Amino acid sequence: MLRALAPLLVLAATLVAAADDGLSRVRSTKVMRWGCDVSGGAPFAFPDPSDPDRVIGFEVEIAEELARRLGGRAERFSADWLALIDALEADRCDVLINGFEVTAERKRVVSFSTPYFRYAQQLVVRSEDRDRFTSLADLTGRPIAVLNGSASIESLDAAGVPPSLIVQYDDSLAPFTETILGRVDACLQESFISRFFAGHDPRLALVDATFDPGVYAVVVRKGDAALLNELNAALAGMQADGTLGRILQRWGLWDDAQPALGTQRGPVVATIPEAQGTPPEDGLPWTLVLWSLARAATMTALLTVVSMPIATLAGLLLAIAILHGPKPLSRICHAYVLVTRGTPLLVQIFLLYYSLPALGAWLGIPELLTWNKVVVGIVCLAANYAAYEAEIHRAALQAIPRSQWDAARALGFTRWQTLRFIVVPQSWRLSLPAIINDLNSLIKDSSLVSMIGVQELLAVALGIGKASFAVPSMLVAAAAFYLVLSLLADWFGQSLERRARAVRALPEPIHR
Amino acid sequence: MTTPALEAQGISKRWPRTGAVLEDCSLRVERRTVHALIGSSGSGKSTLLRCLALLDPPDSGSIRVDGVLAAGEGAVAADPNLRRSIGVVFQEPSLFTHLTALANVALAPHRVLGLDPGDAHERARRALDRVHALHLGDRHPEALSGGERQRVAMARALAMEPTVLLCDEPTSALDPMLTREVMAVLRDLALDAGTTMVVVSHDMEFVTAAADSFDFLHAGRIRISGSVDRLGTRGVDDELDRFLQRS
Ligand SMILES: Nc1ncnc2c1ncn2[C@@H]1O[C@H](COP(=O)(O)OP(=O)(O)O)[C@@H](O)[C@H]1O
Ligand SMILES: [Mg+2]
Repeated sequence: MLRALAPLLVLAATLVAAADDGLSRVRSTKVMRWGCDVSGGAPFAFPDPSDPDRVIGFEVEIAEELARRLGGRAERFSADWLALIDALEADRCDVLINGFEVTAERKRVVSFSTPYFRYAQQLVVRSEDRDRFTSLADLTGRPIAVLNGSASIESLDAAGVPPSLIVQYDDSLAPFTETILGRVDACLQESFISRFFAGHDPRLALVDATFDPGVYAVVVRKGDAALLNELNAALAGMQADGTLGRILQRWGLWDDAQPALGTQRGPVVATIPEAQGTPPEDGLPWTLVLWSLARAATMTALLTVVSMPIATLAGLLLAIAILHGPKPLSRICHAYVLVTRGTPLLVQIFLLYYSLPALGAWLGIPELLTWNKVVVGIVCLAANYAAYEAEIHRAALQAIPRSQWDAARALGFTRWQTLRFIVVPQSWRLSLPAIINDLNSLIKDSSLVSMIGVQELLAVALGIGKASFAVPSMLVAAAAFYLVLSLLADWFGQSLERRARAVRALPEPIHR
Repeated sequence: MTTPALEAQGISKRWPRTGAVLEDCSLRVERRTVHALIGSSGSGKSTLLRCLALLDPPDSGSIRVDGVLAAGEGAVAADPNLRRSIGVVFQEPSLFTHLTALANVALAPHRVLGLDPGDAHERARRALDRVHALHLGDRHPEALSGGERQRVAMARALAMEPTVLLCDEPTSALDPMLTREVMAVLRDLALDAGTTMVVVSHDMEFVTAAADSFDFLHAGRIRISGSVDRLGTRGVDDELDRFLQRS
């Protein structure tokens, strides 16, 4: 009896789940939100070196085609690669398309579509080592660089390479540059990445033999069955009619391994220039690049300019509450300062950003879910810095002599009037230099919000740098922009200090 | 008998570590008189003055300002209305460093009494004039000498038009030159009919010339009090004689 009912129960459960699943969302909004990390580098999804505001890559094209076939348009959601699965689970996007290898481990937390790409692992060594290292076995006991979180790690693991010799990097370009520099003796990545980065570089050589093939697939939330079915149908269509084959050819990714997935090559298409990778000596389009950096610097400035005044004011209120508030409030505020200062800003940004949807659902404020990343970033920076500013204000408030309080009390000022008109105006002058110092730190700390995908200065510079083999020069350019922002902050701080030092002639402007 | 401007009865006070500092001190300051508190260093004069200024609560005893119970059993705790009817000039001037001299004086009339800025400034100028410091109004407190600062601090207290002005050795932090300057102003204030003052002072010349009555504190107790005329005759009290001899 129960047995007979089981399929019905599953069906019912599916129907209930389907009521507000990814597919109906995509259908009703006509938008497929797809997640990726644009700083992960070419050829996945990366800033176009000749127009860094545009994101290009073979996965951009796959996402756009899939969205079209699902009856909508693609909307990109960017976040740090390691945060993408959390972002998917927090419903910040509907799917992930960003070189996610299908692994048993991941299958436990998410579902995968049918694969859209097949790769194998390929070693890259320095060209002078071309004949010395022709297989993994030749590299026994030598350090090998990989991209963190990638399948290359498992391949090395399976081959018995000890963890101490597997050197992980945050992006796919770094393993190659580290090999060139000699910090490692080889790097292992997917064959097409090795071709893309090392194929044109005379300092590097590809080791011919590839091994440990694997596949990339679209990631969806577990239980998002309806969306998964539609995605699979759309993918099958793209594979059969040559659309996928065309995209892979355009990006120079077509090889003999692809037909094994059922992908038709379709008509022969030439590889586009963006897929070749341009070495730095060919030159960056500096006008465009600087323009992009300038705009990213505006984002950094915005984050700072909005969060620092909030942090300063909130810090002052915290300090006053700690020193003069009723005991319970004072305790709570003190605990807030201790916890906030004692935990990494990065963790706070992550926790807030990815717990907002759940928090919104719990509080019955669904708007929290759609809170702009920039707003979340500003809230995090302000909340974190408020704790530091609170300590600065506290020290300054305590530095105001008791005799000032006595004089004010004797004149009939209340406690709050004394704080407002006498103590804070004086402590403010004491705390200002330290606050301006923190303003300078904040400019640079603001780059941490790129972890949730805010395109600020450092993220944009790294994105362009990785896409065009120019990470060092882009970092120097970004540093120059940071320096300018920092000098501006100092100049602003000095004028504030000058104003704060000036005595006020009158308690408030006289209106005659 | 008229209501005294300030009246204290049975004030006792002990500090946590120091022990008893004041024991059963009673005093009475008539309106429009100048009352001197004298006694050697550490005898409890400042402590008594802070109690009278309602800045520190006495452990026992009561204080009445213009007949209104301000401290002691049944008093409303630290009523700012009562507190501001007592002006205080401390040993250190403690000017507000972020304001000009004039703004230092005008701030409380404006913020505490709620006068509009124009009236507050008018009052501040009059108060500065009384201490011969009108010309210092635009100065930064750091640009004032110690004596000038103390005069501005007096003006700041006077601008609130207090019932009683309490002065705690306003010259103790000053060198002799500046002391003379401040004492001259204090004397003018004291001789100005209409001011009620309690002055803690070491300067017997000032006390005999400007004060009407005195209390002599010794080890936290009021040993002798009365009209300043009594200070002329020796042999009333050994401690007082010894004190007078020293100063
Ligand atoms: N805040 C305080 N805490 C503890 N002891 C104090 C405090 N203020 C004054 N005393 C002590 O009370 C005694 C009287 O001090 P004070 O009133 O300043 O004397 P005077 O002004 O006559 O020199 C001294 O022994 C002094 O050490
Ligand atoms: Mg004293």
